[in-house]
Amino acid sequence: MEQEVVVGESNGCAPHPGEQATSRPPALEVKNVTVQYRAYKERPGTFKEHFLQFARTGRWPKYYSRFEALQNLSFTVEAGTSLGIIGSNGAGKSTLLKTLSGVIRPTKGEVLARGKVDSLISLGAGFDKELNAVENIYLYGSLHRIPKGEIEARVPRILEFAELEEFQEMPVRYFSSGMFARLGFSCALDMDPDILLVDEVLSVGDARFRQKSQEAMQNLLKSGRTIVVVSHGLRAMADLVDRIILLSKGRIVFDGAPDEAIKIYLSEDYEVALDGKRFVESTPSSGA
Amino acid sequence: MDNRATVSPQSSSQSSPQPSPKSGEMIERVWREIHLAGEHFLTFFRDVYSYRGYIVQSVTRDLRKKYKRSSLGYLWSMLNPLLMITVLTVIFSNLLPRVEHYAVFLFSALISWQYFSGTVSECMSSIRGNMNLIQQVPMPKFIFPITIACSNFVNLLLTLVALLIVTVVVGRPLHWTVLLFPIYFIPLLLITLGLGLLLAVSEIFFEDTKHLTKLVLQAWYYLTPVLYGPAMLPEHVVRWLRLNPLFYPVTQLREIFYDGAVPALLPYLLSVGVGVVVLAVALRVFYRNEDKFIYFV
Repeated sequence: MEQEVVVGESNGCAPHPGEQATSRPPALEVKNVTVQYRAYKERPGTFKEHFLQFARTGRWPKYYSRFEALQNLSFTVEAGTSLGIIGSNGAGKSTLLKTLSGVIRPTKGEVLARGKVDSLISLGAGFDKELNAVENIYLYGSLHRIPKGEIEARVPRILEFAELEEFQEMPVRYFSSGMFARLGFSCALDMDPDILLVDEVLSVGDARFRQKSQEAMQNLLKSGRTIVVVSHGLRAMADLVDRIILLSKGRIVFDGAPDEAIKIYLSEDYEVALDGKRFVESTPSSGA
Repeated sequence: MDNRATVSPQSSSQSSPQPSPKSGEMIERVWREIHLAGEHFLTFFRDVYSYRGYIVQSVTRDLRKKYKRSSLGYLWSMLNPLLMITVLTVIFSNLLPRVEHYAVFLFSALISWQYFSGTVSECMSSIRGNMNLIQQVPMPKFIFPITIACSNFVNLLLTLVALLIVTVVVGRPLHWTVLLFPIYFIPLLLITLGLGLLLAVSEIFFEDTKHLTKLVLQAWYYLTPVLYGPAMLPEHVVRWLRLNPLFYPVTQLREIFYDGAVPALLPYLLSVGVGVVVLAVALRVFYRNEDKFIYFV
């Protein structure tokens, strides 16, 4: 996904791995992003209901109220660093990740992503369960607009990393959930994303594969890529990320060192703190 | 872009119902609409080009899935229409004894209709069917309807082979006009794709689009010269049938396959124009609503 969500001065600033991280503009810039959802009380559903409502009231019916899943978020992520996002259910973590990936367009504000963004939001999106592993790799690769010849070269590498060489002819439908997740993870990792967005998949596979994927992500970071992780697995996350943003009700409560963020998160009084505006001013931090 | 620009005013006047008081304003407005339509077409072609790899992969996947686990494989896409043709021919060739080689007559129009109705109804549910992907990967959403139009096109080509075989088997000469197929297929493709995109948007917001479409397609089938030809009806009826946007695409495709004649140019250009307008309106509606799809699962 070569995306410039908003065209800014960012043109031509595609990052090159191995360059000094400090000399580059941030990989991700989030500027005053607000995402407004429509919360449906009752879906309009059918033409009949819709038109009946119109006939009765003279106005097209609105069945929803708006609510802000993300409220005026601003932060940047430097290239070569990793960011964790934590928060209780409904805090806006997944919405934030989807906004970063470009799936959701912010209602206000803008997201600037420099380079290729790939997301692991739900494993195996883009896969077809009827196809076998190799066919799925082609499908996934083409979805990421990688030329066929190049995908061909990647197939063995992906299969090897996923440890699925023996099962490459088997329709993915018969895969165990672990195998499926491994394939998804390996594909996403192999697409050479400049920015990798990961949702809740640190727990993929068995302990050994988890170890392996952690290492792979560390390698990505070392080569100057950027990772944003959303997870409830606090310990695994703390090992990987340089910095954590704590979200509550769509706002940033804390932005800084992982240990401190987790401490505040576990103390559970941050939501009170938010109302008292104590932590609302996020500590500006550029990561490690 | 030129031929597009010349026909687009119709689209703009259709999509802007409130009449503007001053003619100068009106012209400006129309001009803006044309400009926008041109831009949409440009984005459309650019996106289709940049996702060509995915489209090809999806089409092969669709075809493979369709035939992988059936023992007759690709033969099915020929057998299905053949069976239908046989049944219909047995009945209608007795009803309409004046028609020479009714099987070919019917088949040469039925392929167009089946392409149209099949593609339109599949496109309709294609967005909802790919919601999982839409929620994860930012991509132009019309890729899904396009993929369906392409898979069905491959199927259509397979059916064409069956048509040519039937033509030879019943002892009808093969005409060179068959080679004009790609040209005379364009209006049908434009209208089908446009309608498919419109219905895909509608289905996201109103689930009963499905039922309504089924009903409309049924009536539409009989209003399109598939089972019969326009020559069999009195002129005052045919005059109304010509308002059907499928009238010319379907009859002209029949002309090249059955009659072996080169169809008239004016009706052809007219239906291309109608197709471009339908697609322009569809793209406008689609692009305007594309970002909202994700909230309506």
